[in-house]
Amino acid sequence: MSLSPAVRRRVSSAVFPILGASLFLVPLAFAATQKVEKHFTVKGRPVVMIQNVANGRIEVKSWKNSEVVVNASQGSSKVGLEMEQADDRIEVTANVLDPSASDAELAANFQLTVPEETELQIKTQSGLIYVEQVLGDMKLESVAGDVHLKEVSGYIIVRTTGGSLVCTQCAGKLDFSSISGNAQILQPALRSANMITMTGNILFDGDFIRTGIYTMKSGRGLVEVRFSGTDSFDLFAQTTTGTVDNRAEAFLKPDSHGVKHTAARYAKGLFGSVGTGLARVELSSFSGTIRILKRD
Amino acid sequence: MQCSDVEQVLEQGGFSPLPDAVRGHVADCAACSSLVADFSRIVDAAHELPAEVEPPARVWISLRAQLAAEGILRETPVAQSAVPLPPSHWWQGFAQLLRGRALATAAIAVLVIAAGYIEFRRPPVNDSSAPRAVTAGVLPPQFAQTDADLDREEQNLPPLRAASPASVGSVSSVDDTLRQNLTTLNAFIKECRKRLEEDPNDPMAREYLAAAYQQKAEILAAMMERGRSVN
Repeated sequence: MSLSPAVRRRVSSAVFPILGASLFLVPLAFAATQKVEKHFTVKGRPVVMIQNVANGRIEVKSWKNSEVVVNASQGSSKVGLEMEQADDRIEVTANVLDPSASDAELAANFQLTVPEETELQIKTQSGLIYVEQVLGDMKLESVAGDVHLKEVSGYIIVRTTGGSLVCTQCAGKLDFSSISGNAQILQPALRSANMITMTGNILFDGDFIRTGIYTMKSGRGLVEVRFSGTDSFDLFAQTTTGTVDNRAEAFLKPDSHGVKHTAARYAKGLFGSVGTGLARVELSSFSGTIRILKRD
Repeated sequence: MQCSDVEQVLEQGGFSPLPDAVRGHVADCAACSSLVADFSRIVDAAHELPAEVEPPARVWISLRAQLAAEGILRETPVAQSAVPLPPSHWWQGFAQLLRGRALATAAIAVLVIAAGYIEFRRPPVNDSSAPRAVTAGVLPPQFAQTDADLDREEQNLPPLRAASPASVGSVSSVDDTLRQNLTTLNAFIKECRKRLEEDPNDPMAREYLAAAYQQKAEILAAMMERGRSVN
């Protein structure tokens, strides 16, 4: 089959730029993602530290083996990866080698598999931190990224600037602090929770363990507690200029310990006991809403 | 002469002059020849490095502040300090202290705790006819000082880094988050301040204002660490 010169010209004018671009882009695509996998054998309960100055997702899951496996991928050679082991301490660091690089080039993602009982210290800028089925103390810090925890247990410290926390079936103690991030605590088995966000919302949907102490504060956001009919806790809810939305009047009795509470002079408050008032639940919002309701 | 002997000679005596026995062994041994070549390259590269690298001024300031805080350094700041420190008031040195992130957070935390402690220790004014501890319309002095200091730090943040061609159209989400949250925090601080100016003894307003100041100190420190700024 032969083509006329005009058609050939038109085909050439369309095809050559595409081919040219492809030739240019294909090596970039291969060079764009670099992957590293490292295995670290551990003896006891390891401490895993990840510092990701670049942007990216960090995922930590557990297994039965006494080994930490780190899978790392980086967006470009403008991110440097360092991993080192000192006995049971494993440190993983992603550094920015070229600060003028774009966000896409500064991406570094980590996927870790750790023994079930592992202590974690993770610090990242953006991108999700996801931890599942890890038993051990953990400190998780993020500027813009969210933190999702599932079935973790220990002393859990989460600090974010704008990232939100979703904690599903978490146990132990939780300490959350954020400026605009939200916190959702779902089906927890927490003995203690201390949460504060300046403009974000807090949702606690689950049981209060007897003798547990729970403090939830939001400057401007909504603090919502959904408790179960079998719960037993003393409630202290206060707001300065916000509102208290009590949708559990049928369950909230005057303080069962005979102590008469009143709101501070400058605040609106709601006090009472659910059940025999074994746990202590303290809710506050400066100018937001506090909502209390019983789960269906 | 063995390879280990060569290593020992290099370790103890360096390169020049290499004894004849060593040179003879190196000439015949590929491994030692490679080792000597590597060392030579390292030495040559080291010679090309500048003799001294001048650390940034804020390193000295932070170091001095930390040493002073630990009671190791008691001398007054010298006149030729990289950033002049006026000797007048201890509070002005606090601004310099804020330049390091850890120190900034620690310093502001101490300040906020101290301010909060002093304020909370005051007995509540239940009788409306009693004179108020703080005059309405004025922020309590501890908070006013913190507020002014943090504002000064905010003004002193370095200018935004010039966008490189690669990053044009891709403004960092982290920087955006920091900027937006600082704006949010400032608005909330304003709200708490207003409330506290109306009712200086409002404990919740104090509590939230103290927490907001602490978070502002942390976010400013984070911005300093990133070396970027807000507009």
